[in-house]
Amino acid sequence: MRHLYIHIPFCHRRCSYCDFNTYANMEHRIEAYVDALCHELAMLRDHLPPLPVSPEAAALRPTIFFGGGTPSMLSAAQIERILQAADTIIPLNTAEISLEANPGTVLGRDYLRDVRSLGVNRLSMGVQSLHDPTLRMLGRIHTAAEARASFEDARTVGFDSINLDFIFGLPGQDLAQWRATLNEIIAWDVDHIALYSLILEENTPLYAQVTAGRLRVPDDDLTGAMYELAIEMLAKAGYRHYEISNWVRPVGTDRPDAPPALACQHNLAYWLNSDYLAAGAGAHGHVFPQRYANLRSIDSYIAAVQAGRRPIAETIQLTTDDLAAETMFMGLRLDIGVGFAHFAARVGRSLCEMYGSTLDQLSAQGLIECDEQRVRLTSRGRMLGNQVFAHFV
Amino acid sequence: MSDQLYIRNFSIIAHVDHGKTTLSDRLLEVTRTISEREQREQLLDSLDLEREKGITIKLKPVRMEYRAADGQVYQLNLIDTPGHVDFSYEVNRSLAACEGALLVVDASQGIEAQTLANTYLALENDLVIIPVVNKIDLPGAHPEEVAQEIESVIGIPAEEAILASAKEGIGITEILKAIVRRIPPPRGQRQQPARALIFDSHYDPYKGVIAYVRVVDGVFRVRDRVHFMGTGAQAETLEIGIFRPAMTPLNELVAGEVGYIATGLKSVADCQVGDTITLADAPAAEPLPGYRPAKPMVFAGLYPIDSNAYPELREALERLKLNDAALSFQPESSAALGFGFRCGFLGLLHMEIVRERLEREYKLDLLITAPSVEYQVLLSDGEIITVANPSEMPDRSRIEAIEEPVVEISVITPVRYIGTIMELVTTRRGTFISMDYLDPTRVLLKYRMPLAEIVIDFYDQLKSRTQGYASLDYHLAGYQEADLVKLDILVNGQPVDALSLIVHRDFAYQRGRDLVERLRQLIPRQMFEVPIQAAIGSKIIARETIRALRKDVLAKCYGGDVTRKRKLLEKQKEGKKRMKMVGSVEIPQEAFMAILSLHESGYERER
Repeated sequence: MRHLYIHIPFCHRRCSYCDFNTYANMEHRIEAYVDALCHELAMLRDHLPPLPVSPEAAALRPTIFFGGGTPSMLSAAQIERILQAADTIIPLNTAEISLEANPGTVLGRDYLRDVRSLGVNRLSMGVQSLHDPTLRMLGRIHTAAEARASFEDARTVGFDSINLDFIFGLPGQDLAQWRATLNEIIAWDVDHIALYSLILEENTPLYAQVTAGRLRVPDDDLTGAMYELAIEMLAKAGYRHYEISNWVRPVGTDRPDAPPALACQHNLAYWLNSDYLAAGAGAHGHVFPQRYANLRSIDSYIAAVQAGRRPIAETIQLTTDDLAAETMFMGLRLDIGVGFAHFAARVGRSLCEMYGSTLDQLSAQGLIECDEQRVRLTSRGRMLGNQVFAHFV
Repeated sequence: MSDQLYIRNFSIIAHVDHGKTTLSDRLLEVTRTISEREQREQLLDSLDLEREKGITIKLKPVRMEYRAADGQVYQLNLIDTPGHVDFSYEVNRSLAACEGALLVVDASQGIEAQTLANTYLALENDLVIIPVVNKIDLPGAHPEEVAQEIESVIGIPAEEAILASAKEGIGITEILKAIVRRIPPPRGQRQQPARALIFDSHYDPYKGVIAYVRVVDGVFRVRDRVHFMGTGAQAETLEIGIFRPAMTPLNELVAGEVGYIATGLKSVADCQVGDTITLADAPAAEPLPGYRPAKPMVFAGLYPIDSNAYPELREALERLKLNDAALSFQPESSAALGFGFRCGFLGLLHMEIVRERLEREYKLDLLITAPSVEYQVLLSDGEIITVANPSEMPDRSRIEAIEEPVVEISVITPVRYIGTIMELVTTRRGTFISMDYLDPTRVLLKYRMPLAEIVIDFYDQLKSRTQGYASLDYHLAGYQEADLVKLDILVNGQPVDALSLIVHRDFAYQRGRDLVERLRQLIPRQMFEVPIQAAIGSKIIARETIRALRKDVLAKCYGGDVTRKRKLLEKQKEGKKRMKMVGSVEIPQEAFMAILSLHESGYERER
């Protein structure tokens, strides 16, 4: 099945930790941008990737993912136009269609209902924190109560697949506060939870504040403890920790050696190292043997598309070794790990042949475990994932 | 063919940054040896390192022609002196090749220890000194006081000092006039058997070793058989010439002249600085005085990070040695590091230069152990051995006594830092010799100090504690007995021989504590807990623990991140490659030099 990422690079304002390709105060360009997106999608029809041969990848539903930025700044009519343009690439009737939403963009039930009726069937909301002073410090435009209200609205209008994003390791956060947050998340009874350890990206206001000593972030040991606490509490609450930073509520038909049914199908495509198309400013696509990145600036993106060109800024050529490495370090993020059959189908070579001695070494260190079918991280390996991943690059 | 009457051989003595390079450029311009700065690149020694470090270790010699006021054309040979204490023997020999020297002093800084030391060397070699007070155009300049200081310290009347600004071109003509007027011409004997003093050399792949020489007596011609009186080597002069500043072949070099002789020799070790070249068929009876083979003072182990690169390291050292007579090396092995070489250097700068050249020019990833000095050890059975590698120090029960090299240091400093310096020197086992006021604001301090205490970041400490004002010079002053012990470091319970060091018993506990603390900072957290211990014999005197790595995983990774994340992981892997596996612990290169960076952590407490 095929997968499509659509980037919406607009925000009401930049959050202090964010280094994504997104722009504030560019609302006047949204309409032209949507036109350009539709144009680009038409061009993409001539560049479709082959269908995956790996059985795991082939089992995924087709997907469209509106990421940002703040895709919920689009009107329902704009989303509809984009979906119509995407229809010839991705069959809308069977697709998982995800939309990232900011709980502060005053969603309202009407908006959510309209979007739902267009076929958007998965919502991912960036809540980030349930502590209002922290939300202000991060530059978020919503309060915890507003986030909760948006979440309830989405439920009410019929979204049955909702993800909430949270960040831990935030300035000022301690273990007690994080425990309270986790208890509340669990009480909301969310389907899907993503928890990210804060990454201080250079060129963000937060990075500057931390390096200048105005803010202090928890050290690695404390964020490690926060991560372990989340693993423990969410397991107790019945969630499956199916990817390093993602949890999902299991359903009865789920099998331990296959991704859970309510997992994000689109993100699974990334972790299974499938091909995917990308549209929009700064979006990244992957059609082996290439990865490509679009022009980042909204204006140059629009200009390129209007001129009838594909808006590609950079293309990276991949070797089979790159493909193998990426298949490993992306795949090992999943609790099902990397299947030998999946690797062979994707890479065209045998995993044991390529990495046999590495697997032995990592097994001996207790970082991974192998059976006949798959290789996966141990719980220790999950804490030290980079130490494992670095062996494959 | 030159009449010695019209030759002047001189060098420039200057402190780093006092304007040596600018002044020599100006002299070349005014004498039209080079136009403007077009050939500046050629002038400077080709080592990038020197330019990066902001120091010119050595300029190439150069011959200039200068038409004096009397209409006579003079041949002026400028021979540079290296500007660092590591190379003081080379300085000495360069000075011996001259009859005079320009003493260049910054008009706002005054005279510095290294300059003073070199000036004394010049006086010992009977050179005429021409003081030049440079940078008089700068706002902070006080040229009259500096000239007065030169008078009180060296005894050259202040009115003889030339006030100049090389940058602005002020005083250049006066300097040229003074060179002709004040510096005596060479007084060699053209009819005597030929003798030439080697003051520098380099290796050329086509012409072999090129000796830079000052001909003292007689004549050298192309195709002469020559004999090196110190090393005993023999060679044929493949080419003879002068530096203008490019190497320019001539048919002969005669008494009084400066130039080069291409020898075809394969190693500079056969053609050492200070040696005398004579003709094999008509040899001189006596060599020129002052020759001694280059003698390393500081020793360190050099190991390839990747043990498979040992043969490449050997080859690289052999090739460097062709051009560097002062570098010595012999194979050694370490339980922790595998096979490597114990290398001898003139000093820390020399060590740093060699290391960087090996890494840059030969693309080797190297690990270098903390520098050590060479100890004389008297064993109980009466045998005396030399130990340049701390891990080879015999068991204490077998040792009767240990002697270590000591140096006499000279420090010139503004008086306000006397207390600070005294304190530093005392913690480094220094003993006071003398204190002399150069003027009301500056003093010359002399101490006797173990060399081992100098090689461990003494210079950096001196500079940082005096805001860069103090300057240092030192020379070897024999050996003396000391109560020394071997300090061992255990990582994860295993002694790491390459981290052992020799310390004075009184300072052993403190050094041990500082060192394990520093190692705790330098060694990254591993996947398990790693204890770091310091021990004397079987007694543990300090311990720190590196806690296990708890969490190291990319927080998130989606479609747009893959390439960037792969790069991050590759970088992490590269970082690992640059570490040395000792047992199951990955130790970074810096850790082996931890003793040199104790102060960076602020953990070098006052003792």
